[in-house]
This record gives sequence, C-alpha cells and structure tokens, in this order.
Amino acid sequence: MGTIETTYNPAVPARGFNYKTAVGTFFWYVVLCLTAIITIFPFVWVLFTSLKGPADPIYSVPPQLFPTEPTFANYIRVWEQLPVANFFLNSITVSVTTVILNLIITSLAAYPLAKMKFKGRDAIFYLLLATFIIPPQLTSIPSFVLAVKVFKYYDSILALIFPSLATVLNIFMLRQAFRGVPNDLIEAGKIDGASELRIWWDILLPVVRPSLATAAIFTFVNQWNDFFWPSLMLHTRSHMTLQVGLVAMQGMMTSDARGMAAGVTMTVIPILIFFVLLQRHFVRGLSGAVKG
Amino acid sequence: MRTKLFALLVLVSIVLAACAPAATQVAVEPQTIKETVVVKETQLVEQEVLITPTPGPNPMAVIDGVEDGAEITVWTFWLSPTFDAYIADVIAKFQEAYPGVTVNWEDHQATFQDDLRNSFAAGNAPDVINLSISEGWVTDFASQGNLLALDDLVPQEVIDTYFPNLWDQQLVDGKHYMFPYYQGIIVDLVNKQILDQAGLKVEDFPKTIDGLPAFCKTIVEKTDTLCDIRLTVTDLLAQMVYEGGVDILSEDGKTFTFDSPEAVEWLQMYADMVKDGSVDQTVLITTDDRVGLDLFTSGQAAFYNTGPNLIREVRANNPALYGYLDVVNAPVGKSGVVGKGLMAMSVNANTQYPKASVALAQFFTSAYSNLELAKLAAVYPSTPASYDDPFFAAAPVAIEDSAKPRAKDAVAALADIVPTVPSKAEVNEIVLQEIQKALFEGKDPQQALTDAVTAANELIK
Amino acid sequence: MTKKFSLTPYLFLSPALLAIAVFVLYPIAAVFFFSFTKYNISTPPVWVGLSNYQQLLKDSVFWLALQHSFTYLLVTPVLIFLSIVLAIIVNRQLPGINAFRAIYYIPVISGSIAVGISWRLIMGNNGLLNSLLISLGILDGPIQWLAEPGYALPIAMLVTTWMGLGYYMMIFLAGLQNINEDLYDAAQIDGCNAVQKHWHVSLPGLRPQLVMVAVVSSLAALQVFNEIYILFGRLGGVLNSGVTVVFYLWRKAFVLQQAGMASAIAIVLLVITLAFSVLNIRILEHGTEVE
Repeated sequence: MGTIETTYNPAVPARGFNYKTAVGTFFWYVVLCLTAIITIFPFVWVLFTSLKGPADPIYSVPPQLFPTEPTFANYIRVWEQLPVANFFLNSITVSVTTVILNLIITSLAAYPLAKMKFKGRDAIFYLLLATFIIPPQLTSIPSFVLAVKVFKYYDSILALIFPSLATVLNIFMLRQAFRGVPNDLIEAGKIDGASELRIWWDILLPVVRPSLATAAIFTFVNQWNDFFWPSLMLHTRSHMTLQVGLVAMQGMMTSDARGMAAGVTMTVIPILIFFVLLQRHFVRGLSGAVKG
Repeated sequence: MRTKLFALLVLVSIVLAACAPAATQVAVEPQTIKETVVVKETQLVEQEVLITPTPGPNPMAVIDGVEDGAEITVWTFWLSPTFDAYIADVIAKFQEAYPGVTVNWEDHQATFQDDLRNSFAAGNAPDVINLSISEGWVTDFASQGNLLALDDLVPQEVIDTYFPNLWDQQLVDGKHYMFPYYQGIIVDLVNKQILDQAGLKVEDFPKTIDGLPAFCKTIVEKTDTLCDIRLTVTDLLAQMVYEGGVDILSEDGKTFTFDSPEAVEWLQMYADMVKDGSVDQTVLITTDDRVGLDLFTSGQAAFYNTGPNLIREVRANNPALYGYLDVVNAPVGKSGVVGKGLMAMSVNANTQYPKASVALAQFFTSAYSNLELAKLAAVYPSTPASYDDPFFAAAPVAIEDSAKPRAKDAVAALADIVPTVPSKAEVNEIVLQEIQKALFEGKDPQQALTDAVTAANELIK
Repeated sequence: MTKKFSLTPYLFLSPALLAIAVFVLYPIAAVFFFSFTKYNISTPPVWVGLSNYQQLLKDSVFWLALQHSFTYLLVTPVLIFLSIVLAIIVNRQLPGINAFRAIYYIPVISGSIAVGISWRLIMGNNGLLNSLLISLGILDGPIQWLAEPGYALPIAMLVTTWMGLGYYMMIFLAGLQNINEDLYDAAQIDGCNAVQKHWHVSLPGLRPQLVMVAVVSSLAALQVFNEIYILFGRLGGVLNSGVTVVFYLWRKAFVLQQAGMASAIAIVLLVITLAFSVLNIRILEHGTEVE
C-alpha cells in the first residue's frame, strides 16, 4: 500500500572528474539561481525600500535598488503605530491552537472511519465527502450571524478557532493514513486489553506521524494565511491576526510606501527564520505522507 | 470641581433644611448628623470658592441629562497617530465637563467604512462616529437607520454655535444626523517643477472644472506624468451635482433625471480624458483618497485636489517636493459651489447612552475642540466663534496656512446642494457601473446615463 | 472483529461531526434559506422567493465574475506543470540544494497579503516594473498595469501562480523521492532519455500527488479573494476586471449590504464547485488504484 516512511535518495557517487558532469552541474546552478531570483525579487525590492529614508527615491527612473543612507526609522514608525507584536501573537495563538485541537478531533474521527465497522459508516463518509468541496466564503454570512448573535465571539480570536475545529481534508488524509496501518498492530493492542482510546493514542498516532505532520502543516499554513474570515471578525487593532493587521497597515500607510515596505518585511522575516529552522522536518514530514 | 458642585448643593440643602418646618424635625435630625460631618469639609472648600471667581457648572457642558456611569466608544477617521495628543486632550476635557462618563477611543483609516459596516451588522458599532461628509457617509448610514436624529436632542443655543450652512448638511427627510466637525478648504496642491516642464505657470491653473481637460492634456504631452484626478466613486451623484450643476432628481423627488444634457457633458469630459490617456486610472476610481495623494506626494503628478491639511503628508513623505509646492484655489464646477463640508460627528441610533453620546459628539465639534485642531493642521472650524481667536488673525507663515485669512468666508460658503436621494447607496452603485462602462469601455455617455436612470427608477418604484 | 454494538465509533466521531454540523451544515442550510430573502444582516430577512436568482441571471457583472473565476482555473495546469518541473530540478543532491528549496518556499509562507502588497508596489503606476521598463527604453511612458481592464486578471493569476510554486513543489518533491530508483534505471536501460524518463516514470509515480494538487489547486482558483482585494481594492478593479465570484459575493454581502443576493451567488458557486469536483476526481482517479 505504499511506504510510510522514506529516506532521501542517496547521491549518485561521482566517478572521477567528468567534464560533462561539471557543465551539467553548472547549468543546474544557473537554473536554480535564476529561479531563486524570480522567487524572491519582489521581497528584495521591498526590503530595500523599507531601509530607505525620505531622501532616497523609491519611484525613480531608473530604479535605485540600494539606499544611499539606510535607516531603520521606517521600522520604528510602524512598530510605534501598530501593535505588530500583537499581530504575531494572535496569529501564532490561533494557528497553534487550531492545529492541536483540529488534529485531535480529526484523527479521532478518522480512526472509526478507517478501521471500524459500524452502522452508518458509509453514509457519514459520503456526507463528509460532500462537504469537502464547500468553499469557506460560502458559509461566511451565516457564520457571521452565528459569531455575532449566538456565540458572541465577534472581535475575538475564538471566532477564528471554532469554525476550523474539524476540517474534512484532514479527516480524509488521516483516514487514508490509518488504513495503511496493519491490523495486526491493532489486534495486538486489543489482546493486551487496551481500550480503543489507548489504541488510538499509543499505537495508531505514532505510526501515522508523517501524515499528522502534513495535516499539521496544511492546517497551520491555512490558518496563518487566512484573511477573508478574520477580516470580517476582527476590528480592534490589538485583536488582529497578522494578515488582517497587514491590511490595516496598508490602509494606514497608503501614502507612506517606505513604512508599508517596513511593515511587510517585519512580518515576513520572522516567518522565514522559523521556516528555515524547521525546514528539514517539514520536507521529511511531507515525503511519504501524501501517498499513504 | 466635582467637589465644588457637591459643596454648593450641600450648602443649599443646609440652608433649606434650616428653614424646614418643625413637623419634619424628626426626619431631619439624622440628616443633620450627617451634615455636621460634611460641614467640616465644606468649610475647607468654601475658602476655595472665594478665591476662584467662576463657580458653577462647566461652561462646556451644554447637554443636559447625561447618563451617569455611561461608557461610550468613539471612532475617529484617520486622526491617529498625528493627532493622538489632541484627541487625548479633548477626551480629558470632556470628562472634566461630564464626569461619570468613560470614553474609549479607536481610530480607523482606509478600512473605516468596511469596519463600520461590519460593526453595524454585528450590532456593536461605536456610540460616536467621525463620519466623512465629503464622501457622503452621513446620508449613507442615516438612510439605513444607523444614525440618531439630533433635532430633538440638541438645544437651539448649541445649534446656533455652528455655521447654519454646515448644520443643515447631509439631511435625510429633513432631519439632522450630524454635528459639523472640522472643515476643509478645497484647494489644488501644485507641483511647480512639473508645471515648469510643461511650460505652464501656477496662474494658468484652471478656475473652472471644464478647463481641466485642456490643462491636463498639455501636462501629459509635455511631461511623463499623468493627471491625478479622483472620482468620488461612492457618491458619483453628488459629484455630478457640484461639478456639472446637474439636477439628479425631479421636482417631486420621485424620478431620477441624471441623464440630462448637463450630466452627459460632465461624463463626456471624463470619458474624453480617459480616452486621451491623460488620467491615472487607478486613482480615478479608487475608494481611498490616499492613493491619489500618494501619486502626488511621490512627485509623479502635477496637481492634486485635496485640503491643505494633507500638506503635512507631503512634508513627511517627500520633503524635497515640499520645496516646490504651491497651493491654488480649487476649480469651481457649474454649480458655483466648491463643495460641501468635510467631517462630522454622528451618533449611533442604537446607542445605550444617547445623551452621553450626543454630548461627546458635540464636545468634539465645539468651538474649543475645533480651534485646537485648527492650530495643529490646516483645517478650519465649523464654529464661527473659533475664528475670533487671535490664531486666525495672525498672518500665514507656511504654505499650509495660506488659506487662513479667507477660511471663515470659504467655510461659510460650503453648502450641501445635493437633494435627498432615495436608496442612495444602491443607486450610486448602479451609476458607478454604468459610468465605468462609459469611461473604460467606450459606451456612449448618454446611453450609459439613460440606462442608469432607468435602472434607478425601477429600484425606487 | 466482534459484532458487538459499540458506542466508541460514534463517540470518536462526535466532536468532528458536531463541529461540522454547526459550522458547515447549518450555514449551508442557512445560506440556502437566505438566498430566497432580502437581507442586510442588521434587520431580519424578508422573503422574496426566486427574485434574487432572477436578478442574478440578468446581472452582467455576475456573469463576468463567473467568467473570471473559470479563467482563473487556467492557473492549475500551469502551476502543476511548473511545480513538477521545479521539483524535478531540485530533486538532486547538489550542495546547498536545501537552501534553494527553502528560498522557493518563501512566497508561500509570507502569506498572500504580504505578497499582494509587495506586488502592488512593483506593479503600481510608479512602481518598479514601469521604472525598469522605461529606463531600459522598452516603454515610453508608464503602463497602468493595475488599471487596465484587460491586464487585471492575468496579473492576479500570475501572482497566484508565483505564490503557489513553492507549495506544490514541496509536495511533488516528496512524491518524487518516494519513487523507486530502480524504475529509473530500468527506463535508462530501455534507452529513454531524460525527458522520456520523467514522462514514463515520474509522472505515473506522482499520480496520487497530482490528483490531490489538481483538486486543491482548482478549488483554490475558484475561491480566490485575497489577491484581488489587495491588488485591486474594494471595487475589484476597473470595470470589475478583477471581480471573481467570491469577490462579488463579499462585495454584495458586506459592502452593499445585500446578503440575500450574496447568498444566491453562494449557492450558485456551490453547485458549480460540486459539479467541478466530481468531474475532476472522476477524470483523475480513472485508472489509479483507489482504496
């Protein structure tokens, strides 16, 4: 049923210096560098814009990349005018909480769907399948009303966590992963007298860790990037998540491009650092998890 | 100050108690004991009263019956962070005048309208709201039933402290929904360097709107810049009235008539400018005024129609431009009126504390508050009394102040000549879609306007 | 496995089902109801029957929005192709390859808002693109990239593609690394060149990922909103050139206060998405081993 874990492919050992290989390698590096430039040039431009003082032109022809007098004044200005730390904190809180709660709920739900026989199993499965394709914006109007009149968590990050407690994509992914677990493991657990909950926690979850990692990453990225729903819910500055805060910043600094650039850079760099540190786990988690 | 009032009351009650009939002696006695204790305090305060010559209630507290323990929220539009200190001062003075009211303040910028709409929908909109008259927000929200009518809640003496032409703006069904706040003189900021490049002088700037296309064309031909002109896309009908002198509604107010020859002429002017490629299209239909300002501030436009109060943005973001900046009177449209008011303070119809909210809205727009703001930025009070301050008599120093001497007359001439439009937001949306077709798709302006009129009349049938 | 009736499956499923019932099923039913009403959220809805749908049929902006959303689907095949190519390129053990992989992922993790703002700074009338082209002599005067009706959608699609490259590259990379090396060797022996090797070995091996990416990416294309909002503002661009179905939904509901009409749009979107997904899965799953 496909491998669950995988290792990186070993490199093809070089058989002595090969001219063809050298040219090939050089060629690939050129391609990689070009792609890298395409990928990050907007951010490079923004980074340098954020370091320019009022004297350095940002709209000149020909464009001037490097500031002649680099300054951090723009960053200080943005930091003072907007609660950037709050933006980060809120985003992190929302994303992490959602991931933890969501994974628990969806993996719990995936287990019976994958391994147990019970009445209504197929019906529930198809129902979930049907809800998979529903765009989130579709349900925004009633969710708005629910948030305001019923749950009364308008303008709070709770409004972002609750609707994302169970995502069908994760249920499917984890179900797929659970199905790949050999039944012997489960049987062994039952013989030992473990309850279903123990089996789920002690046996199944560790085995499908790569899929959990993938689901965690998807959910985290989704929540982190989400703008539409949070923008409807959050209107007090200190409650805003990063994306909503960025738009508020853009609204505040429309005629201050340097400040806007500083704001964008301030939000991208921490994420970058965080990602670089976690990069290896990330790719390892992805590999082998999708085909499961 | 609170103690003074209390002391006065106690003094009065002591006097009355002393004159009380003997029959109530039994009831009075326990009170006397209390009073004895207080009298000690009163004596201390009495000395204070002797020294300061003005006892009595705060002269700035002009609204009676303000709810005690009220907690209200006020939203301002784009006043932070530049005017943080000013707002804090106004709120502090307000709380002196009306002790017992707590004020929470939030400032919103480009997303103000969206934020406000969402909060009205959610039912937790602020109690006091700083709305833009020039963008037509007061009539927008008032016609949806979101704002409180002020007619019965504001005493006549207070109404008289405002310019009458300002008080009577943005009426819906004859009712008033706002206190006029700071006003702007509408001018055109001019980039002398670009004008020189085009071989033009500041004096050549058109005095009337219909002179704009030709002026624009010269600039675009001789320089690398586009014209920085903005349509008020959320209230195109109003713009039609001011610039084109158009009668948008019939006499009885039951049918729309904005497909008249004057309207077509007005639309044709803009359509021609777009066709000639002489305007920046992003600015033309942006909902955010700052986008147009940004184009000018970055030195990429010859002129921009705005208020002198935004010169501070130019100064902050492009000091070089400030050196060759000039200010001219804004061109006048066929209506002869340059514009309506700029900003207002309104009250939420569903506020829990109507009196407190009205008091705050009035306080923000009082002569004192208006004057303080006028000293900080090139905006002008809606209250005639403010102009008596020596600040306005002083000669203008920097280019931001250049409008100061004629400010009072200019403000007194601002008028709202737009009739009450039924289903205003929806009709404006219809107009926006049709006008875009005329501007960008080459649709015949007459046809576009007539289609819009037909659809609009369907709507209000 | 015993056939004893157990509550456990239901218990395990209940939190998820509860959440989905409240946050997905109920809202769908509510939206369905609202689509037959005139509703501005602050006051109770008023029943108007099919009038919203009838108006939609006559609404030229709605049809334009539909057209734009369908055009946006072109992003999916382009994105899949480019990300597979990119994955193949980075699937080699060159020193520093991990750094490159990380760099390609930057647009994904920056978030669509940061990306949108950055691109707006570049594509604006006085932005980097115009300045570059003018100084190189390619252009005489600035082109109003973001304000030309014809350019709006392609620009938005470009930004979306640019943003998605790293994301899907990672997925395909993981998939490639799962493919058995021997298969490549066998192909080599059979005389395949590089391109043929990938066509016959990599692509079939990537099938599960392809299915998932195709479905997820096309759904995302039908639901795009963030890029449009940042690049073109609250109007959705000149002449509604950037308006997609979801953008129109948002505008109707939260700007123009016509939530009933917006709900009708939502239902139409639902039907389209449903049909599309079924089609998608049928075509792609055909021939793959399904559980």
